[in-house]
Amino acid sequence: MNEYILKNARIIDPGRNIDCKGDIGVDAEGRFAEPAALKAPKSVDLSGKVLSPGFIDIHVHLRHPGNTLAETIATGTAAAAAGGFTSIVAMPNTKPAADTVGAIELLHRLTAREAVVRVLPCGCMTVGSAGEEMAPIGSLKSAGVVALSDDGKCVQDHALMRHIVEYAKAFGLPILDHCEEAKLSEGGVMHEGKWSVLLGMNGIPAAAEEIIIARNIIFARKINWKIHMQHVSTKGSVRMLRAARAEGVPVTGEATPHHLTLTDECIKKFDTNYKMNPPLRSEEDRLALIEGVSDDTITVIATDHAPHTRTAKMVEFDYAPCGIIGLETAFPLCFTELVKKEVISLPRLIKKMTVGPAEVIGIDNYSMAPGNAADFTVIDPEAEYVIDKETFKSKSRNTPFDGRKVSGRVVMTAVGGKIVHQA
Amino acid sequence: MQWTRKDLLSLYDLSGDEITYILDTAEEFKKVSERRVKKVPALRGKTVVNFFVEPSTRTRVSFELAEQRLSADIVNMQAQASSLLKGETLLDTVKNIEALQVDLVVMRHSAPGAQAFIARNLSCGVVNAGDGAHSHPTQALMDIFTIREKKGRIAGLNVTIVGDIIHSRVARSNIWGLLKLGANVTVAGPATMVPREFESIGVRTCTNLAEALEGADVVNMLRIQRERQTAGFFPSTGEYAKFFGLNHDRMKYLKPDALVMHPGPINRDIELTGDIADGPNSVILEQVTNGLAIRMAVLYLVGCVKK
Amino acid sequence: MDNIPELLCDEREMNAAVERLAEDIGKVLAPHPGDGALVGIHQQGVPLAERINAVLKEKSGFEPDFGTLDISMYRDDIGNRSRLPLIRETRIPFDVNDKLIILVDDVLSSGRTIRAALDALTDYGRPRLIRLAVLVDRGEPEFPIRADFIGMKFAVPPDHKIQVRFETDPDGSPGIYDIKWPKR
Repeated sequence: MNEYILKNARIIDPGRNIDCKGDIGVDAEGRFAEPAALKAPKSVDLSGKVLSPGFIDIHVHLRHPGNTLAETIATGTAAAAAGGFTSIVAMPNTKPAADTVGAIELLHRLTAREAVVRVLPCGCMTVGSAGEEMAPIGSLKSAGVVALSDDGKCVQDHALMRHIVEYAKAFGLPILDHCEEAKLSEGGVMHEGKWSVLLGMNGIPAAAEEIIIARNIIFARKINWKIHMQHVSTKGSVRMLRAARAEGVPVTGEATPHHLTLTDECIKKFDTNYKMNPPLRSEEDRLALIEGVSDDTITVIATDHAPHTRTAKMVEFDYAPCGIIGLETAFPLCFTELVKKEVISLPRLIKKMTVGPAEVIGIDNYSMAPGNAADFTVIDPEAEYVIDKETFKSKSRNTPFDGRKVSGRVVMTAVGGKIVHQA
Repeated sequence: MQWTRKDLLSLYDLSGDEITYILDTAEEFKKVSERRVKKVPALRGKTVVNFFVEPSTRTRVSFELAEQRLSADIVNMQAQASSLLKGETLLDTVKNIEALQVDLVVMRHSAPGAQAFIARNLSCGVVNAGDGAHSHPTQALMDIFTIREKKGRIAGLNVTIVGDIIHSRVARSNIWGLLKLGANVTVAGPATMVPREFESIGVRTCTNLAEALEGADVVNMLRIQRERQTAGFFPSTGEYAKFFGLNHDRMKYLKPDALVMHPGPINRDIELTGDIADGPNSVILEQVTNGLAIRMAVLYLVGCVKK
Repeated sequence: MDNIPELLCDEREMNAAVERLAEDIGKVLAPHPGDGALVGIHQQGVPLAERINAVLKEKSGFEPDFGTLDISMYRDDIGNRSRLPLIRETRIPFDVNDKLIILVDDVLSSGRTIRAALDALTDYGRPRLIRLAVLVDRGEPEFPIRADFIGMKFAVPPDHKIQVRFETDPDGSPGIYDIKWPKR
């Protein structure tokens, strides 16, 4: 590989507390390097652009194997690259579920063949994510998983959950938990509140999430092990997470761009692209979530990228599957809604898309320090455009953000020094 | 004003003027059923499909009769939402119906918003005959028509709706229609079935029936589904009747000339006692008569407007 | 501007025509006291019929039964209009069987309204005879329909509309006007 120097960019590297104008080199092995140490580098001018460590999304559904009509590793990772993500954690609710060594090995093989960004496997907590028997956690660790999750479902048996956390701790695997008390959410298709009442739809109460958040905090404190709360969506959840973190309990939380930007009122036209789980919550919840992002209660932005075919979503709201794609809209949405609106600075947003998620899955020193793999993302902070789903690299188009005006564009993404996306 | 909509999906979508317009149109259609020839050629040569993805007898019969009195050709289709799920999608089914050059689809479905979803994807007109707990616009229009006919107005009237509000499309459609025409609306029933969130749109919520009935000009007693009891919303129909049923003693809270309504079918002696259902304040059968006029008016309007 | 109404006939002439119509109608109905009826077609046929009725009453002390008819439910252009005007009141407060009915409309143009009115009226029963009275006959009906009582005749181009205004109409200045008004 040819050496090159990224010149004249605003370098934002939260892992090293750097925010300055400057140059960064990439060596022949695809590692960051001091520009002076390179022999005959080419140069890439990044004037007016922001250079960031590659984004990490710890919540992605690649649907491969199982539903390759909706997404494949090739298209999902291309979408990740287009969104500025250089590493993604693949949720294990594929078909079959990633609950065996064989499933993880298949993922490694598929990834080696067609991925353009790093795909980090996540294993199931329970067999088939059925919430009944513990998955072979130790073996999954040996196969290379970076975390455990039953995402899409939630272990309802608290005794089993306790054992999983204790057992996972011994193997150093963090738990990424989808927090949902199933009896309370049963039959629900949207947030329980003013709009579910006005629309006559079955609601999912905030309590369904909050009860499990509380449980997880109790276990994380008692067992002293990392539990990460996926897609936190309610005011009460943010409040509990804040208190627990202040106390030093090893819990973290993520927010999705859609929970930060949309509310349950969007559902009044019955567009299934607003159906997700957890559901879009009330404006009060949305504001609480933004506050949580602002005061670092929430340290991770994650997309919950959930591709579904047009066929799957073109049905009655009650019967539509939950979830939207998010990889290609995450950065511009957060930049527009959080940075432009001065909730947080750009370095802090980048931190929640790099160092924050890296810490959850145990990657230390994630930065552009010389010697580290040259995974980086270049942003044009001046770009203004309208989201057009037809330009997406993802195989699916299930987004409610089509036609939305945003600022900030990912113009280049590189993994190990190799440019995998350029706009 | 003039009518321009090709669909009738919910009263939430309509302005007060549009609602009044439908009521005024229905006045003329009510007379058609009182004539020697109970039929007009308004929809002659038009085909209407009654597509019921949820069982119904009364509403279907009322729509069918309305269509016949407008001289439309009619096809009835029944399906189960669950079997649709396994095979063809709802959209494919209705697209196939539309491909037969159908002009109007009258649809009932158990999923809220199902009609809004298909209306967005069809060029023919769609009339909502009930979608889950969301909306049942023609039922509310007939209730409001009946109130206006008896009281001469809607604005300023105290209307109390009693029963399983949370699961009721009749309640929701009545609430929107009545609010848009300026009535004071109270909803009442067991606390598990009367969401306080309705207060955010200016509806009074109440769990004490005496309080809810005090000074009411109209009381609309909703049907209680027995399966709600097994789902834990209330302990027994006996206890329901005791605390939330309309009986002789509770009539004293109402204004003397108050109207007693019920969307049917009635559970006699549960929602209200038989003597009240048959008594001088009851307009329950007039609601049914007026339902026909309302459905004729709605079908005429959405059926005659240029697509 | 094309669509500025041109006055064809002023209020005085118009009222004279109404009186002539009433006189002619009176001659036909007078031999059958109790059997005659005037039915005005909405919109402008109704105020015209009211005026004819008033003249009949004043001049001959004779008052036939009176009804109004809206033909919206009987039109032949269903599905061709993107806006539907409100249906007006149809009121036939007498038994039409064996009646002598004078249908009253302001302008006889295509004849389609009268076709619809005949259908509407016969749905109420079986009159002995129906005659048509109009204030203005444009002379070129599209249907084989002719008026029996005619106030006056005006020939205007096909893309023009003849408008009859009475003193009670909101747009005022009574008279008969010619407006260029392309058919939609």
